[in-house]
Amino acid sequence: MSGFSSEERAAPFTLDYRVFLKNEKGQYISPFHDIPIYADKDVFHVVVEVPRWSNAKMEIATKDPLNPIKQDVKKGKLRYVANLFPYKGYIWNYGVCARGEIIRVKVLGILTMIDEGETDWKVIAINVDDSDAANYNDIHDVKRLKPGYLEATVDWFRRYKVPDRKPENEFAFNAEFKDKDFTMGIIKSTHDHWKALVTKKTDGKGISCMNTTVSESPFKCDPNAAKAIVDALPPPCESACTVPTDVDKWFHHQKN
Amino acid sequence: VSLLLRLRRPGPPPTCAGERAPARAAQRHALYRTEERGWPRSLVYRVFFKNVAGHYISPFHDIPLKVDSKEENGIPTKKARNDEYENLFNMVVEVPRWTNAKMEIATEEPLNPIKQDVKNGKLRYAANIFLHKGYIWNYGALPQTWEDPHQKDKSTNCCGDNDPIDVCEIGSKVLSRGEVIHVKILGILGLIDEGETDWKLIAINVNDPEASKFHDIGDVKKFKPGYLEATLNWFRVYKVPEGKPENQFAFNGEFKNKAFALEVIKSTHECWKALLMKKCNGGAINCTNVQVCDSPFHCTQDEARSLVESVSFSLNKESDEEDAEQAWYFLGK
Repeated sequence: MSGFSSEERAAPFTLDYRVFLKNEKGQYISPFHDIPIYADKDVFHVVVEVPRWSNAKMEIATKDPLNPIKQDVKKGKLRYVANLFPYKGYIWNYGVCARGEIIRVKVLGILTMIDEGETDWKVIAINVDDSDAANYNDIHDVKRLKPGYLEATVDWFRRYKVPDRKPENEFAFNAEFKDKDFTMGIIKSTHDHWKALVTKKTDGKGISCMNTTVSESPFKCDPNAAKAIVDALPPPCESACTVPTDVDKWFHHQKN
Repeated sequence: VSLLLRLRRPGPPPTCAGERAPARAAQRHALYRTEERGWPRSLVYRVFFKNVAGHYISPFHDIPLKVDSKEENGIPTKKARNDEYENLFNMVVEVPRWTNAKMEIATEEPLNPIKQDVKNGKLRYAANIFLHKGYIWNYGALPQTWEDPHQKDKSTNCCGDNDPIDVCEIGSKVLSRGEVIHVKILGILGLIDEGETDWKLIAINVNDPEASKFHDIGDVKKFKPGYLEATLNWFRVYKVPEGKPENQFAFNGEFKNKAFALEVIKSTHECWKALLMKKCNGGAINCTNVQVCDSPFHCTQDEARSLVESVSFSLNKESDEEDAEQAWYFLGK
């Protein structure tokens, strides 16, 4: 599809588990810095972190060299998102790819969540290879063709931390989904922030900016240096994946 | 008119939760074990049952409907109130929660293994009815029950669907295919599926950490708000993605209480007894059993073993694609 591939290290659902990304030459790259944001005009690359309906909270490790995907940890424990009745796990393919899958998407709209006091944009997009992709060009197409999905999305983000005894989240714009044009503006803005980060014009505060492709970046390194980072880690592991059984619990709460 | 749309995407399948192999869940003192033949997601896949002595049995006929305290060999089940102890039932798990493959007891095959349902030559999968993923409870059947297709049920005014009575188990654990658990009955829904009576019991695993809070249907409404509504909706629309109409219900879709449910179970148990004693026409139902000694269909353990061993075992690793389990169906109003 895109020439990218992935390599796992250690067993899934362990603290050591990592997914490294590689380019078409098999060289290690950073999914944060080395994948072009634009695949085409109006088409973006997305690295999927969490497959729909799964629970493990996988994410790009922004503070680790080469930013592999790993499972989020809180208080020393691996994080799993709760099954918030009526939902099972995540209700979309989310973020950046879990097994290193990189897809191309059409952007449709955006939700502005405020998660524990921080702005946390959620872009709504569709895989360009989806059989229905041609019918989706803006946020109103989602309302029309997948009724209930956006409402479920707001509901999910509002309540997903309640099983962890956190309060409900809040949203800007009255939890309204903004359209594609607005979203493009936000994406461009965050892309500019990233450029400033990776060219050391702003302080990354712990973020690892190591990369192999950004020529104007002082953090650029060569493929051998990247390989050395990965080689220092535990090898891939053959064990079968098992998620702890308490992850299966379905949380029932009264909606406020 | 329901508008139906399909969302498909290529990509990694759902994770392992719910895909645990039959009876791998720790049941050190399990009275029943399973034996798989063939590969999952294939037409030849079968899950046979054995008792603790290692003899093949039928999960339809040879597992007692009611839990017998003697069965446990001195190992106590989790506490149930004394008055409820008489109302613990064995349940055979066919479909783990959140999976899609439509697995069921093969009522027409000798020793009734679990297999995947087939329609028009294709393996059947339940659709993912938005917002749900697969089945929204652990789903299975009560052994030694039968919904007689020759008898009209007075509540539904329809004949039975020719199967053991179905159970939706609402506990928090995702169970394994082929597991036999003890359940408390809480209530029942009178589904009329394509014109046939198809009761759906609501039950909870007696070993669920919250089981002691659940005694009747009202407790489900109280502690799991929305679950019964979701259940009703699921059964109403689950065949619409296959092009079938919405299903109907007896009692306007109201969930009846435990007492009512117990009466229905009793009645389906009587029908099963008549079936095993050849007092009624079972049609193609296979009544071969090893435990019901008075039954004209009773066979020996050796005969049972020969029956199982004669089932062809295919080494063909080809199995159905996981695609069928990924589409999400949106049924617009």
